[in-house]
Amino acid sequence: MIKDLSVMIAGKAGDGVLFTGNVLAKLLKRHGWEIVTSRDFPSNIRGEATCYTVRASLDKIYGLGDQVNILLAFDCEAILAHLPEIAENGIVFCDGEGVQTPSPEQARGKTFHRLFLRALAKERFGQEIFKNVMALGALSYVLDLDPSLLDGIISEMFLKRKGEEVVRKNTEAARTGFEKAREITAEKECHPLTRRPDENRVLISGDEAIGFGALAAGCRYFAAYPICPASEIWQWLVHYLPDFGGAVVQTEDELAALNMALGASFAGARAMTSTSGPGASLMMEAFSLAGMAEIPVVIAHVQRLGPATGMPTKSQQGDVLQWIFGSHGEFPRIVLAPGTVGECFDLTVGAFNLADKYQCPVIILTELDMGQNFRTSRAFDFSQVAIERGKFLSPGELLGIPDFKRYEITDDGISPRSLPSWKNGVHLVESLEHDEKGYRDEDPLNRNRMVEKRMRKLDHASPDLFAPRTWGCQKADVGFIGFGSTLGAILEAMEQLRANNIPSRFLQLRTLWPFPAAEVRQFLAEIREPFVVEHNFSGQLATLIKSQISPCVELKNILNYSTRPFIPGDIVEPVLRSRR
Amino acid sequence: MKAKEFYHRLNPTWCKGCGLFGVFDALKRAAAALDVESEDLVIVTGIGCHGRLNNYFQAYGFHGLHGRAMPVAAGIKLVNPRLQVVAVSGDGDAYSIGLGHFIHALRKNVGLTYIVVDNRLFALTQGQASPTTDFGMVTLSTPLGSKDFPIDGPSLALAAGGTFIARGFSGEVAHLSSLIERGMKHDGFALIDILSPCVTHNKVNSYDWYKKHISHVEDLPGYNPGDKAKAWEVLAHPEKIAVGLIYEEAKPSFESLVLPDREKPIASLDLGVDAQRLRKIMDWFR
Repeated sequence: MIKDLSVMIAGKAGDGVLFTGNVLAKLLKRHGWEIVTSRDFPSNIRGEATCYTVRASLDKIYGLGDQVNILLAFDCEAILAHLPEIAENGIVFCDGEGVQTPSPEQARGKTFHRLFLRALAKERFGQEIFKNVMALGALSYVLDLDPSLLDGIISEMFLKRKGEEVVRKNTEAARTGFEKAREITAEKECHPLTRRPDENRVLISGDEAIGFGALAAGCRYFAAYPICPASEIWQWLVHYLPDFGGAVVQTEDELAALNMALGASFAGARAMTSTSGPGASLMMEAFSLAGMAEIPVVIAHVQRLGPATGMPTKSQQGDVLQWIFGSHGEFPRIVLAPGTVGECFDLTVGAFNLADKYQCPVIILTELDMGQNFRTSRAFDFSQVAIERGKFLSPGELLGIPDFKRYEITDDGISPRSLPSWKNGVHLVESLEHDEKGYRDEDPLNRNRMVEKRMRKLDHASPDLFAPRTWGCQKADVGFIGFGSTLGAILEAMEQLRANNIPSRFLQLRTLWPFPAAEVRQFLAEIREPFVVEHNFSGQLATLIKSQISPCVELKNILNYSTRPFIPGDIVEPVLRSRR
Repeated sequence: MKAKEFYHRLNPTWCKGCGLFGVFDALKRAAAALDVESEDLVIVTGIGCHGRLNNYFQAYGFHGLHGRAMPVAAGIKLVNPRLQVVAVSGDGDAYSIGLGHFIHALRKNVGLTYIVVDNRLFALTQGQASPTTDFGMVTLSTPLGSKDFPIDGPSLALAAGGTFIARGFSGEVAHLSSLIERGMKHDGFALIDILSPCVTHNKVNSYDWYKKHISHVEDLPGYNPGDKAKAWEVLAHPEKIAVGLIYEEAKPSFESLVLPDREKPIASLDLGVDAQRLRKIMDWFR
């Protein structure tokens, strides 16, 4: 019985790889399987090689597997490029003439078929574009999928937007592809997937889940500048915020985006912006203002490969220290790092509450792999969403306060807020050092009191922060520390190590700052061989751990700075090597 | 109508004779004429001598970063369009480091009043050249004379689709205050560029110099602020600096286009979780 399967759709940008992959992911999800997708796209619209992998599993999965079982290539050059990833008994479908026959040792065990989908689509339906649905039909045959589920998805996609005729033609095209595959494949090549109930589950990207979290948390002002791979947060929210009474504003740059969010927050909205590396660099200036002026704001940073413009469509974890130590001056900030799409939702909701409670900027740090790819999750539980706006005085309470101090020095460092239009609440938000009312004050003693007030806000925040999560065996010599979307590869590496009689544990950090030193120290005390797993060159998380834990045991880095996110083998191999 | 003292929080400490005194007075008068409550007025400032205004003026204030007054002010206005939002900047703030924000706030026609106090140099930092410094002028940063050609804010505003473009002179407070008042009443973005002498660092563009060089558009026979071609003509005059309401047009404000309901400000929305509605949205992902 098949328990785990990866299908890769490959072609040139503009071939419909994205469409085909998206539909396949949804189709397999509707069969009750756990899904993780991965797009490997160039940063252009048309012409260059792209591929889209859909992994389906009966077990809960969070990342890609090590191998591909079926490759469907719209472009025959893709075959040679991806041959090393294809499993021993894998199947390769190629559309078109140009297939170069791989050498016998490369091809061993694999079967190769030609489909001629383009030609067939043109002949039967008059347009090449039908090849995508035909390909899905062909895969439906090989995977023994329920044709009615594909028909259902086709109808959902096209009926409202394009009408019955388009639905009919596409359903027929799916059938044609199905028959074609039946004709050309041998029965033993089938990879039948058992259907399971698909209950209360969703297939969603990290970016969408962050957008959803923001909507549920009462974010009603969103300002941003387009950037890959964060724009999907905005592109999702833009469909909903106006209906909820809010606004989405495209700004001239990221400087404006964060400043505008700060203005909006000062005026009373729960406000947010999103960006990636280059935009984050521009936001550093206003980030510091948020700290000084104590304005709540949420910033989602979906990391891509840098430095500079880097590779906008490739994932990386290279901006970890940017928000933790970044910008001028010293001020409190909170950096959260979700490891699953469910956490993208939960941590975003939490981010808004933390921002309001501690009156500081909160960063949700993810990466392209999490942001743009789709994963199955339990449907989000909105009954757990609570909106806590922190130390807000009400307009009524303010009337009883003749001498309101917006930056009042308090024991916990957190001061009461008022909003413009509220009587008696008049104050100044001041980027200069200021007194308790917000007015500029250069007195050295005042300066000391104010910096201490701001910096102590997070002293006792840890119960409110997202604690690290521990995975794996209670007793283990090998331990992993990581954050974000490396979670999937780490968890599967742990399974593979267990099969090798090597038990291991994983400490998943969900709050990177304030640094969860107590938990990390304890974890390090309990294991013998700690590995820090990160998708960057220099080991930024390991650097952070060493800076916060002293003395610190020797940490081993498992680093991957390639354009491809981790696969389990990238983690298993160095562990095995270290024990040889 | 309120007395202008209503908005007076502290006596300013600008250099004696600074044009900012006139701006401060004109802004108080305009607010008084419009009878705005202190809590319904937000003054957003940039960085420069003008930025001290928040300390002296009794109203909600936001003294942010150098050049970034526009996005902050726009965020405030969109979240609560009932507020009277006045942004104040210097020439460095508006036409140098914040030029991009200036043009885009204009283009969006956000309902802000933007007062740009132009003293033709960076005064707070001791007198370096700014984008409006005369060509050839000797400043702290240009000992051999400025090699940059100056730009003109109102002309930029006209080119960018500005819907209320005025220029005043801080030596003529009553006139200036009437321009600010009209700008605050304008539905959309109002620019009031102000010729404002820096008595400490700019010995060229003095009160007397401005008096000799300004020309009031109101004095031009038949001048109509709705006539764009005429506005270009007065702005392009080789010797005279046009002051007064140079151009005005009606165009929908950004907030009227973007906000679902201006009567229900984002600032006072009920954020309660509507789980049923969210679950319906969640169905898209099934």
